[in-house]
Amino acid sequence: MKVGFIGLGKMGQGMTRRILGGGHDLTVYNRTSEKAGALASEGATIATSIANVCDGRDVVITMVADDTAVKEVVLGKGGVRDSLGAGAIHACMGTHSVAAVQALSAAHVQANQKMVSAPVLGRPDAAAAGQLGIVAAGPEDAVRACAPLFQVLGRRTFEAGAKPEGAAAIKLSNNFVLGAAIEAMAEAFSLVRKYGVGPQVLFDVMTDALFAAPAYKIYGKIIVDESYDKAGFITLQGLKDLNLVLAAADQARVPMPSANTVRDRLLGAIAHGDGEKDWAVMAREQNRASGIE
Amino acid sequence: MKVGFIGLGRMGSGMAARILEHGHDLVVYDVVPESTARAAAAGARVASSLAGVSQEREVVITMLAEDAAVDAVVFGEGGLRDSLPAGAIHLAMGTYGIGTIRTLAAAHAAAKQTLVAAPVLGRPDLAASGQLGIVSAGPDEAVSRCEPLFKAIGRLTFQAGKEPEAASAIKLANNLVLGCAIQAMSEAFSLVRKYDVQPQVLYDVMTEGLFAAPAYKVYGKIIVEEAYDRAGSTIALNLKDANLIIAAGDIARVPLPSGNTFRDRLLGAIAHGDAASDVAALALEQARACGLA
Repeated sequence: MKVGFIGLGKMGQGMTRRILGGGHDLTVYNRTSEKAGALASEGATIATSIANVCDGRDVVITMVADDTAVKEVVLGKGGVRDSLGAGAIHACMGTHSVAAVQALSAAHVQANQKMVSAPVLGRPDAAAAGQLGIVAAGPEDAVRACAPLFQVLGRRTFEAGAKPEGAAAIKLSNNFVLGAAIEAMAEAFSLVRKYGVGPQVLFDVMTDALFAAPAYKIYGKIIVDESYDKAGFITLQGLKDLNLVLAAADQARVPMPSANTVRDRLLGAIAHGDGEKDWAVMAREQNRASGIE
Repeated sequence: MKVGFIGLGRMGSGMAARILEHGHDLVVYDVVPESTARAAAAGARVASSLAGVSQEREVVITMLAEDAAVDAVVFGEGGLRDSLPAGAIHLAMGTYGIGTIRTLAAAHAAAKQTLVAAPVLGRPDLAASGQLGIVSAGPDEAVSRCEPLFKAIGRLTFQAGKEPEAASAIKLANNLVLGCAIQAMSEAFSLVRKYDVQPQVLYDVMTEGLFAAPAYKVYGKIIVEEAYDRAGSTIALNLKDANLIIAAGDIARVPLPSGNTFRDRLLGAIAHGDAASDVAALALEQARACGLA
């Protein structure tokens, strides 16, 4: 398959190597060119512009940090919309807002291109190992055409329907459910601390049965150890995602009281200087709110 | 061991049967005659009064549905405080509020008796098979005297500390985390439904990775299938717990915004006639709030 790839951050680095490993013909583009250099020796062609990375490609993948970046890459002058061939696919794999995905999708349809939204679940190590979860949505034939790529990138693909924004809704919802779980743990841990109980007891009770899952084991442990400096996913990123969740909720008219609580908690944590800490630092913010620290 | 047991509901009858199987000398008491008949058939002696179930017992277990019931059993005519021998233990295994536990502990201490709080985790089927989780708290010496009973009733005992209320705090905190998880799922499912994504997709994404645990699998499935009539734990029962959680926060000065959201949604569900539905009917209430039901 002839594949273009835009966005060589931590996730993109791992994903491009998987695509090369799968024997695909890969052209890559990154705004800062140093990151692309190493991939050249591994068989990728380095493009010098977005037009260049789109030229003659069956699929162009974008894996960029936020809505502003993806809009610039796609809708900007000489961007993916202007450069991708008719019938070709833009596989948009970053986590973006519902509104951005809808706007991009409409623009591609108008240019006789197809858009598949396929945000991923998992961290850079999962990307490098081809073990991502992929949530894919878009026109059926386009999603099917991307299957060989999803196969090398991920361990499983979840199909979310024909509307690209459906995949964004699923990804954002999953992130929100995690944020809400952390907030609930934050409240629960502060409560037991006030009654003089060691947080480890609550951790053991939770993770022994009802909550024997990574969300509670990983984030519960960070809270028990108060090890907020070893950040996997930081508070500022959490705020970005919760803002996307609430924007999606706003657009669809869905009151989400828990999501508003999580967002407010993240804002409070950032206001107290914890923006760069792991977002489990919500627990410290809840402690502050309870007069524990 | 000479054991008394008060409260042979669905949980209590399974627990009493386990105690008998382990060869303890058991006297039971319940206001409902049919429940004592079953225990009698299994080899328990049936007491006709609270005084009768307390006399000469080393430990008397209470397994009652609410604070008012345990209050009546301890402080009513011929109740535990008046009838339990000096040095004996009241083993309180229901889920009771912090305020009630404090009152009971003080009253028993004044009567030279000891209170051990040991609320259980698990449903009636686990009670019948002796597979409950037990969270125990009380003076060390009293807790260790209860261990043969914990062995008969449970799979694992978590030690929460010397103050009986610590066990209540842990049990309520665990219930809080569950309530918040169900509320978060309710919000997330309503969001993806508004974007025309099948709820099953979100269920698959959640339970395959971060949330691969019973809390999400059991309640997520009820929400996906809208099977709210097969009630395990009802909305009404959860309101009782939510009130205990909020009261515990109140006493200890811990703001619990997610806990309050959970409670408000339960109230809304009851207002709409869902008191007897499974607690997962929170998702139905959330669907109403966003115009989906």
